[in-house]
Amino acid sequence: MDAGSSLKILIADDNKSDRMILSAIVKKMGHEVCEAADGLEAVAQFKQALPDIILLDVIMPNMDGQAAALEIKSLAGEDMIPIIFLTSLQDANDLAKCLDSGGDDFLTKPYNKIILQAKINAFSRMRKMHHILQRQRDLIRENNEYMVHEQEVAKAVYDNVTHAGCLHLPNLKYLLSPFSVFNGDVLLAARKPSGSMHILLGDFTGHGLPAAIGAMPLAEIFYGMTAKGFSMEDVLREINIKLKNILPIGYFCCVCMVNLSFRKEEIEVWMGGLPDFYLYRYDDKRIDKVISTHLPLGVLSSQAFDGNTQKYSFRKNDKLYMWSDGIVESRNDQGDLFGEERLQDIFSNNIDDTALFDEIVKTVNEFTGERGKDDDTTLLEVRMVDESEVGEVSIDLSSGMVSGPMDWNMRYTLRGDTLKTFNPMPLMLSILSDVPYLKGLSGQLYTLMAELFSNAFEHGVLALNSALKQDAKGFAEYYSQREIAIKALKEGTVSFEFDHQPIPGGGRLMIKVTDSGQGFDYKCRQDKNFINQGYSGRGIPLILSICDNLEYVGNGNQVRVDLSWTAD
Amino acid sequence: MSHLNLGQINELKDLMEDAFEDLINTYVEDSDEKIALLQSAISHQDKEKIAEISHSLKGSSANICAEFLSGLFKQVEDQARAENLTNIEQPFTLAQDEYLQVKGELNQLNS
Repeated sequence: MDAGSSLKILIADDNKSDRMILSAIVKKMGHEVCEAADGLEAVAQFKQALPDIILLDVIMPNMDGQAAALEIKSLAGEDMIPIIFLTSLQDANDLAKCLDSGGDDFLTKPYNKIILQAKINAFSRMRKMHHILQRQRDLIRENNEYMVHEQEVAKAVYDNVTHAGCLHLPNLKYLLSPFSVFNGDVLLAARKPSGSMHILLGDFTGHGLPAAIGAMPLAEIFYGMTAKGFSMEDVLREINIKLKNILPIGYFCCVCMVNLSFRKEEIEVWMGGLPDFYLYRYDDKRIDKVISTHLPLGVLSSQAFDGNTQKYSFRKNDKLYMWSDGIVESRNDQGDLFGEERLQDIFSNNIDDTALFDEIVKTVNEFTGERGKDDDTTLLEVRMVDESEVGEVSIDLSSGMVSGPMDWNMRYTLRGDTLKTFNPMPLMLSILSDVPYLKGLSGQLYTLMAELFSNAFEHGVLALNSALKQDAKGFAEYYSQREIAIKALKEGTVSFEFDHQPIPGGGRLMIKVTDSGQGFDYKCRQDKNFINQGYSGRGIPLILSICDNLEYVGNGNQVRVDLSWTAD
Repeated sequence: MSHLNLGQINELKDLMEDAFEDLINTYVEDSDEKIALLQSAISHQDKEKIAEISHSLKGSSANICAEFLSGLFKQVEDQARAENLTNIEQPFTLAQDEYLQVKGELNQLNS
């Protein structure tokens, strides 16, 4: 509808000769004309002919121009239909009434061709502009609806991926407050086949969708590798290289990952770029700070990446508090930071430790007040409990009937640097899991093999004394000795031999582990069925609970376990 | 002196082309009828009707380039709107005379 192009113009005037003149003028301009002799006809014509502009006489029988204008404007809704009143009225009040009823302009009699043309052109331009605005507004609204819908779907997918796992377990309390639909914070927890638990708190640079996108591969890697029994370092290394590859320069993820071992009563921590965490000691209400010692994930190349972890003893009812920087960096109405000091005060003023989590949440909320939070805020409390409290690891046993390899033997020897650094559990577990029934036992098998491997490596090859791990101090001593021994180690081997044979209704798995160490005096202990307290470090009672029998042979540098199963 | 604005009426003729004759006939038929209705309204002292009809005649006469006639109908309308009909006969009589002159000139233009 260009200013110069043809319009449809409704002329409503009760005076026929006036209508003829006006109609002649408008037609000369190249527009199409429809006519009405009174207000009622004008409204009817408007509905039927849908004119672009209306020329409306004020004083008409049946329905006057003002009433017709009101009706037409209400019918037009948000569409703009310019109405030009035809009038010889001179009184300012009458003219004002015309405008109140929805008129846009006046044309006085006798009609002036040039003025009428100018007005029609002006309103035509205005109407065109109105159309463009409406179209753009509709387009924006449509786009926005589309985007919101997309975000909702994406959020559902995101939540499914990032909130799977075992965050619901009774030893975890957490708070995730998204600053927008998507949260730049990630909180993941999953059980390993061994029964221990991997926990990861991540804080991506930025907020919203850009931050959330990186969380998807991160979560996939975390859950996938944790379920397969990979070590924390392996998982972190994989996530690091993935994020390094996919995130733009300047984007990264501050991460703290924790491996919580219920059995060993310890936590292993890797921390890159997050604020200090607090380790609450139940015995003496002391706070140990865990500080970040690494760069965030997605910054360093795989070669430069440092997967070293710190180990801390973690006794029953000890608690670990983890948070994203949204807590310490939240601000109040005056713009003051919440800060470390306020956080520490919560702990020093605390009386009932079970209320600590709620006290932190409450204090931060009271501090920020109505202002809300500037940043994504994530808070997690991890409490040490007996493993029975968090239950067994459930392994998906969907593969069905007994089949797969039943009759086979395999030997796998680790030596040199591979022995020092490589975790063979996932690989070996994967081979054993080819036997469908053993897949169902993968949790126990993992525990079993991990125990045998760590005995062979730490007590056999490295000749460390397990008795050290009796208290927190000895614990640290043990790991520092371990560190030194690994460095000093020139040569050494640990060999696994697996032998699986079918038996009626099931199978029998034999695992023999041989290390290159000096062995030990096992004979007297074997007689007592390894119940001796001093021996607990070797986890033998645990192994016995899983296997049919356990037998040391030779110098004690070779151990053999048998595990038979029947499918029922 | 003409009773029509000659410059304007020629413009109107150009504008209407073949329809000019039809326009004049329409105006005359319409005005004959309305003047009769106006007379009846005046005799019935129907102020509203007087105002409405004279308003319409004022507008159509202006459009047909009869400026003086339009002015006389305006006087009639103004008095009716002022709700004072005591002097209404005077402009109405003048308007009737003027209309006959206008009609004569229009018919001449048409012939």
